Amino acid sequence: MSQDGAEPRAKPEYFDDPAVQALYQMVLILGEELAVTREHLHALTALCAAGTPPSGEALAAFQPDEAFDAERAEWVARLLEPLNQLRNAQTDT
Amino acid sequence: MAPAQTELNRSTVHEMTPVQNCRDRGRQAFIFHAKRQLGVYSRTVLHREFDRAVSSGRSDGGASNPLADNPAFAAWSALNIGSQQQMWRALGDMVDRQTDALNEHARSIEARSPLGSLTLDPELPLPNYFRETAYHGQPGGFCLDRGESDWYAGALQEAGGTLYTRGAGTGDKDSKGQAVVRFLGQRFPGLRPNTLIDLGCGHGGQTCNYAAAFPDARTVGVDLGAGLLRYGHLRAESLGLPLHLKQACASHTGFPDASFDVVVSNILLHEIPRDMLRAVMRESFRLLRPGGVVLHQDVPTQRPETPAFNQWLSQWQVQHNDEPFWQSFAETSVPDALVEAGFHPGQIFEEYVPQVDGPLVWYMVGAQKV
Repeated sequence: MSQDGAEPRAKPEYFDDPAVQALYQMVLILGEELAVTREHLHALTALCAAGTPPSGEALAAFQPDEAFDAERAEWVARLLEPLNQLRNAQTDT
Repeated sequence: MAPAQTELNRSTVHEMTPVQNCRDRGRQAFIFHAKRQLGVYSRTVLHREFDRAVSSGRSDGGASNPLADNPAFAAWSALNIGSQQQMWRALGDMVDRQTDALNEHARSIEARSPLGSLTLDPELPLPNYFRETAYHGQPGGFCLDRGESDWYAGALQEAGGTLYTRGAGTGDKDSKGQAVVRFLGQRFPGLRPNTLIDLGCGHGGQTCNYAAAFPDARTVGVDLGAGLLRYGHLRAESLGLPLHLKQACASHTGFPDASFDVVVSNILLHEIPRDMLRAVMRESFRLLRPGGVVLHQDVPTQRPETPAFNQWLSQWQVQHNDEPFWQSFAETSVPDALVEAGFHPGQIFEEYVPQVDGPLVWYMVGAQKV
């Protein structure tokens, strides 16, 4: 029997203003697209440095090293760093 | 076909594994690191805010959400859910783009002489909870079945499970199945099953570990999801492992009484309602031969010393990440259910085992049938 599948449940609103939640989604999408750009730029730079023509196949086969992964971790941490300032002021009183 | 695999983990590649291109890699790496950072954030800032709310007397840390009006909680929740939705979209795009190529691989695998088998039951009634739950937000859930050769649900389950668990801090050198095999070896040295069944086996990722660990045994897996099993069959055949997969409910497998030496499940119990959990225990008892062993591996929600903050995190999963039975599992005594099913109280074991390459602890609960 074919099944169309289940839908994820509606998620709660986390902010009084729903636009704030939309903004967080937009930041994530921007971050994702920036990550894609960084990935391509890194691969192209490395291929050029190695004298390899940057074809689609060469891009697909390219595997970044651990140092680049550390760079990824570092900039994503920096992106989310402002969250560390958040605290509930009411609890302070 | 490659020689049969004996080392299986989260990095295992097979013919049905979608290939990451540069764009996929960038997207998934971002999601992975965002999830890792959000995990760090929950263990530091959220934990601090939780403790402050409880110690200030504004919350007892119990049923109400101590962080309900906290901006750190709101931001973390929005990003956590957002990254989960982002993950499914990125993985779905990767799989969709390669559908034709993967179908070609599937046909190539099917053309070979099979090592195992796949038995689907198109008339099997699926329980409502299974049809209505998109576990972990996976689009379509585990019940998605778009036709007689559809393996999509299994492909997403494997890709999503890998990225999610790695994002949660787990390494890629170990698996739940390997943890179970190690546990069985330590607790029951000399155990050499002739027959083993994996209940709620999904795409067979763990089932393959049992076939690899016990190459002389007949290894069976059952699940309700046809799309999971089709993918699981192709995956196992590609890895050179003989799995016998059957579409059936873990509580009514249809196999004869006393027909298995070992009954296992991996992270099944927290995905099913309480009455189903009890029925699974009864089926485990019925399926085992005297002297046989049942072992269910799951998340450690029941650990007695679980701090209030971790219990709160579990509640979040229930309300925000399509885990409707997480809490009912946490409140259910599996040992009691095993006793009710017929197992002797003196034969029941319950342990918490740390992961080999990650921060998590696995709950191992089971019994030997007298």
